Amino acid sequence: MAATILRRLIHMIAVLFGISVLVFLIFFATPGANPADRIAGKNASPQTIARVEKEFGLNRPLPVQYVIMMKKLFISRNLTSFVNLGEKVVPQVFKAAPITLSLVSGAAVIWIVFAIVIGALAAAFRNGWVDRTLMVLSLIGISMPVFWVATMANLITQGVWHHTWLFSWVPPLGYVDFTASPLGWFKALIIPWITLAILYIGLYARVLRAALIETMQEDFIRTARAKGLTERQVLLRHALRCSLVSVVTLFGLDFGVLVGGGALLTEVVFGLQGVGYLTYQALETLDLPMIMATVIYASVFVVVSNAVVDIVYAAFDPRMRLRR
Amino acid sequence: MSNLLDVTDLAVSFRTRSGLIRAVDGVSFSIAEREILGIVGESGSGKSLTVLAILDLINDPNVVIAGSIRFKGTELIGQKPGVLRRLRGGAIAMIFQDPMTALTPVFTIGAQIAEQIRIHTELSRHAARSRAVDLLDAVGLPDPARAAARYPQELSGGQRQRAVIAMALSCNPALLLADEPTTALDVTVQAQILELIRKLRDDFNSAVILITHNLGVVAETADRVAVMYSGRIVESASTTALFADPHHPYTWGLLGSMPALDGIRRPRLATIQGLPPALNRRPPGCAFSPRCAFVRPACINARPPLTGTEHQVACIIPAPERATARTQALAA
Amino acid sequence: MSDALLSIDKLTKTYTTGSALLASGKTMIRAVDAVSFTIANGETLGLVGESGCGKSTLGRCVTRLLDVSSGSITLAGTDITRQRGAALRETRAGLQMIFQDPYASLNPRRRVRDIVAEPLIVHHRGTRRDIRDNVAALIQAVGLRSEHLDRFPHEFSGGQRQRVGIARALALSPKLIVADEPVSALDVSVQAQIINLLTDLKRERGIAFLFIAHDLGVVRQIADRVAVMYLGNIIELGATEQILAAPAHPYTEALISAVPVADPARAAHKTRIVLAGDPPSPANPPRGCPFHPRCGYATDICKTTKPALEVLNDGRFTACHHPRQG
Repeated sequence: MAATILRRLIHMIAVLFGISVLVFLIFFATPGANPADRIAGKNASPQTIARVEKEFGLNRPLPVQYVIMMKKLFISRNLTSFVNLGEKVVPQVFKAAPITLSLVSGAAVIWIVFAIVIGALAAAFRNGWVDRTLMVLSLIGISMPVFWVATMANLITQGVWHHTWLFSWVPPLGYVDFTASPLGWFKALIIPWITLAILYIGLYARVLRAALIETMQEDFIRTARAKGLTERQVLLRHALRCSLVSVVTLFGLDFGVLVGGGALLTEVVFGLQGVGYLTYQALETLDLPMIMATVIYASVFVVVSNAVVDIVYAAFDPRMRLRR
Repeated sequence: MSNLLDVTDLAVSFRTRSGLIRAVDGVSFSIAEREILGIVGESGSGKSLTVLAILDLINDPNVVIAGSIRFKGTELIGQKPGVLRRLRGGAIAMIFQDPMTALTPVFTIGAQIAEQIRIHTELSRHAARSRAVDLLDAVGLPDPARAAARYPQELSGGQRQRAVIAMALSCNPALLLADEPTTALDVTVQAQILELIRKLRDDFNSAVILITHNLGVVAETADRVAVMYSGRIVESASTTALFADPHHPYTWGLLGSMPALDGIRRPRLATIQGLPPALNRRPPGCAFSPRCAFVRPACINARPPLTGTEHQVACIIPAPERATARTQALAA
Repeated sequence: MSDALLSIDKLTKTYTTGSALLASGKTMIRAVDAVSFTIANGETLGLVGESGCGKSTLGRCVTRLLDVSSGSITLAGTDITRQRGAALRETRAGLQMIFQDPYASLNPRRRVRDIVAEPLIVHHRGTRRDIRDNVAALIQAVGLRSEHLDRFPHEFSGGQRQRVGIARALALSPKLIVADEPVSALDVSVQAQIINLLTDLKRERGIAFLFIAHDLGVVRQIADRVAVMYLGNIIELGATEQILAAPAHPYTEALISAVPVADPARAAHKTRIVLAGDPPSPANPPRGCPFHPRCGYATDICKTTKPALEVLNDGRFTACHHPRQG
């Protein structure tokens, strides 16, 4: 197990290095574009451009530029925006990260729990009306675009029905810090959580159902029945545990992507100033240092959460530990 | 002598678009306590389905089981699921062919055995665990305490089959159903497992139904043998009688097809022409008639009944002509 | 030996497993450990052993499906150990393989006619018409009928598919066929039909076989000589009847005694040697004789010195410090 973890961590560091090089090259070595112009932003003065050139060592060889950039990002963390003058970029990302993390983690808990319940129910009653109803519902969940659901949710909870007993507890849009008020945090996030989770509930429930039905054909399921287990025990103890592997794989990818800014639409519609929101703003203003910082940090999140998931995976399924 | 299990006229059919297909077609046999019954047949003979039907373990929504299966006097066909479930793994346990896939990969061996013990007894988790270790010891697994803590894929095929057997024995079953328990194993490991099965009746008082395609395995293990062909029993006798004086032409064919390790090496093996009939195109008379070298007009239309008391055979070749025909068949 | 068709000299095949990043996780597995033997023209050598003993790996090395780590393979006087490209293709024409699972080795989307004709087309053997006649003759030789030519593999039973596989292997009139467990997936009665077919082909066409199997009865039926493998080593090699009637190596003895006999009268009197435990892992073979931890006759020398494969008085070879015979 320790070896598995160590191997995974080494792998993770290698991937991160690769990504940082790639991102760096895209921004600094694309032919036909002067990186200084781009870093300085739109309509920058020649003085600013000259300053940028000096600060980022743009007249020096590429490897040196890479080291300077990484130093600014990870060690001195003093990369500044030239669009919003003087604004330090890295602290902004750090401020945004907990918001995104809160949003995505909460949604993840909801979608995992619901997906397991729905997937298991559908598999247990496969081809019956329960199964069909649940699968149609999950298909609807998958098909509804998240910005539409979010807008609808806002319309209902903040607009028409805000003053009825049903939604009067919903706070105005925005984020409440957990340390300031845990209940406020929860209230502010519950609607965004559900909104973000809907798509994934549908997706994961369908994947889990398929995996469960496949697992139920395995020989060891027959052994489990031959032991005298009830059908429910067979499904929940023996089949579910083996089928969860496929869900865990998906989860690693989806969670990383969302934490790294993929929840952009939900964040924008609910006014949550998370990593996605930050990227969205930076893109609007073509704030290159900000884009670079969010991209790099996003990839760190994706890769780290993937590594964590792989380690969880090995804990979950001993087969993974043996595989080399 | 009262029988432990009486199977009468068992039929296992599958609903298909082209109608009902009878995979097991009227099988009757019984087994006494502490007896080892071997059921021999090739793939598609219905031998596995016969045994799976006893515990209603055929996992197919289109299966139809008819006839009678009486275990210690209780009818099992049409029985309530709860009653069957208490029998499964308790009084009737099962061992499957492929030990590689028969155990759940995400639980340790010990946990899987303990799980079965706790279904059928009141033992505590701890007591069930230590019984699991004792069982692993009893089936000859080296270092049973460590083996109990391992996952199935960490053991070799032979060790896994021992673990499966330990699990099957965990609640002292009166009847053990073994479906090709050694087919996936190497011969030296097969020898170990067969030795273990032979010992079960002394150590655990279990009767065993041993399903196999290998005549050698039954000859060395079983007290009685039933030979199945195309969903029917064609011959049934004590092991000694069956091998000393086989009655059915299909049995002759099987014996002739087996390359022997000693005796004179025959330049060619005696074979059976052709293939078994598809189950939905079984001939109206004797199912073996299209491949039988001794077929007579009477075989074509009427299905020969299983006759005899101790040595039963479903063949109309009269006893006096049998020896000549057999010599002829085995010489070919 | 000058009349040898195939001559294998100290053939070794090693695998490395483990992570590419961490050297500590690496293990070297000697699947085949300096194995030598020859096969004469028209001779059938049976290669027996239990799973993991390296017999299939050896078969794949001989047909060059796997690269050899060291040692040499000589076929009809030509060293084929490191052949590549056109030379290897030419070699393969005379060196065919039959597999265990006939279904997996036949392209499911092609008709039998095309499957059998393919090697002939690839090697430019004759005009289109010659090839057609040739295919028809081959299909008949393996006991199928001409109406089978236009069917697909899935329309056949296991035995018939194996016949198609044999017809394909015969197409280029090979001198040597490596058959890897060709009958072990088949039912007893079908297995007998295929064994008879192979026996006939061997006699009529003078093809030499390296016949890999775990079933000693099957090997006895078809092989002139037998090589027994254990943990990557040949531990006994000699005439089939000689070895099966009176094995010299304790492992061969145990292997033979483990085969169930379809005769209760004899089974009762048989001395049965039940080996304890499983074969050791080839990743971690024992010192000395690879069989000594399970051997009933082992002495101190077996624990320290690995016995060489040496010829006994009766002409067979065995790798044992305390042979039972000869």
